Amino acid sequence: MSKISAPRSNREFIEACVRHGDAVRIKQEVDWENEAGAIVRRACELGAAAPFMEKIKDYPGFSYFGAPLSTYRRMAISLGMDPASSLPEIGAEYLKRTNSEPIAPVVIDRKDAPCKENILRGKDVDLCKLPVPLVHDGDGGRYVGTWHAVVTKHPVRGDVNWGMYRQMMFDGRTMSGAVFPFSDLGKQLSEYYLPRGEAAPFATAIGLSPLAAMAACAPSPIPEPELVGMLSGEPARLVKCETNDLEVPADAEIIIEGVICPDYKVEEGPFGEYTGYRTSPRDFRVTFRVDCITYRNNATMTISNMGVPQDEGQLLRSFSLGLELEKLLRSQGIPITGVYMHPRSTHHMMIVGVKPAYTGIAQQIAQLAFGSKLGPWFHMVMVVDDQTDIYNWDEVYHAFCTRCHPENGIHVYRNTTGTPLYPFATPHERKYSIGSKVLFDCLWPVDWDKTNDVPTLVSFKNVYPKDIQERVLKNWESYGYPQAK
Amino acid sequence: MNQWEVFVMDMSELAEGKDIELSIRTLNPGLQKYTYKRVRAQVSSSLDKFADRLQVRLGRGQLSAAKYSIKVIEEIQRMPAKYL
Repeated sequence: MSKISAPRSNREFIEACVRHGDAVRIKQEVDWENEAGAIVRRACELGAAAPFMEKIKDYPGFSYFGAPLSTYRRMAISLGMDPASSLPEIGAEYLKRTNSEPIAPVVIDRKDAPCKENILRGKDVDLCKLPVPLVHDGDGGRYVGTWHAVVTKHPVRGDVNWGMYRQMMFDGRTMSGAVFPFSDLGKQLSEYYLPRGEAAPFATAIGLSPLAAMAACAPSPIPEPELVGMLSGEPARLVKCETNDLEVPADAEIIIEGVICPDYKVEEGPFGEYTGYRTSPRDFRVTFRVDCITYRNNATMTISNMGVPQDEGQLLRSFSLGLELEKLLRSQGIPITGVYMHPRSTHHMMIVGVKPAYTGIAQQIAQLAFGSKLGPWFHMVMVVDDQTDIYNWDEVYHAFCTRCHPENGIHVYRNTTGTPLYPFATPHERKYSIGSKVLFDCLWPVDWDKTNDVPTLVSFKNVYPKDIQERVLKNWESYGYPQAK
Repeated sequence: MNQWEVFVMDMSELAEGKDIELSIRTLNPGLQKYTYKRVRAQVSSSLDKFADRLQVRLGRGQLSAAKYSIKVIEEIQRMPAKYL
């Protein structure tokens, strides 16, 4: 692999974004209560530069960096690529790096770890000392973790998990969070800690390098510390926690250490979610008890403001979920051209291009995707043929509206695993994570005669002889048209 | 006078004339704003009855027009001792 020059920390990433015009430095004071959130939300909705807010009301010395990865340009910068790279180019690079050899992390000495520059223990521990923002008016609380990693380790198998589980400040020593039962952490709690009534050590890392955040958000089976190494081309730098044996990114801005209380829940939410709604009501959810806080000098807290498209919850999750599903389908030998989840679908629709090699291939794709570990996160699969550009919504939409048979092409799967976040779900379905799924099969049936039964696509590229196409293209401007883009 | 806020799924959770348990968050200005306490309290739709004010939000954050006064009788520690 050629040398990768990706930003190694949140600070390097901010500098790179400012240099490329993809972040703005906000010098005037910004209020942690709603104002910072509103700036981030508007930046997301406009597709604007990421706000780096250097002066926070009540919190001298701290800053915010909002909407870190809510555009493909910033995603390209995070990977050390040209910001103008196209989505297929970024996707190909992600696949190349994540199919490479794992790169193990290195554990560095505490004295060399920037995240240990300030340490709060015992009575000094108070989450209110951090500039925890009220992201949306009407949220259930100030959210500590919106763009972060919750680090845990399976006590027997030793599997390390970094997950982006939202965390609300309940009081100065307590956070509550949404941890779904089908998630890695949810399974760990229910299978090990809850039956034993044992506390589970955790560490929340905030202000990660963009590739560490990408790894925490990606639904990859590769352990996140190795995944960071593969994405960045060098070992991730970790450091031991102060109060437990977990290892956290040494260059993170803020680390919050403590224990998860598996048999004690407190209220969490509501919170503006990636679907663009506040769907899941306030409920009793997982409790995190805080024992220690460490942070860098002049620490920057990262904020993701989820809502209507597009924010990094939609963009990055659509990106990584789609590519992990692509890996899954390729591993089964299915002749796909690719998988794409449009961010505006809030990663609810998986679009797959495939060579229609045999009957039932669309159903096979849907069953594999829905039946995988990733299945609860989306509920629509649309399968188009290999001549349709999956990244071109005009083509996909045309295929859907013209080739998907209303009776034979739509397949509904009932009583699957869902999430409480689905806006369309009934209150009962949300409470018990009951889902349902649908496949839109937009392939011409294999048993149709290709000459006489399959309709001919009437397009410039498809119905005219090549010499006529070339003549028209050559003379386009002389006909009086401006040059086609 | 302290300002508090509570989230309820249904207004019937705010029963008047008896002690009830609530998780309320402070709206007083300062670094602790929006942090919670679990309390035993009495509430009243009469704003004159108790000294403190209670604002109400519904399950998805909608601000209710209803206003209450509240008297916090005691703070309740719910967290099991093994985690303290």
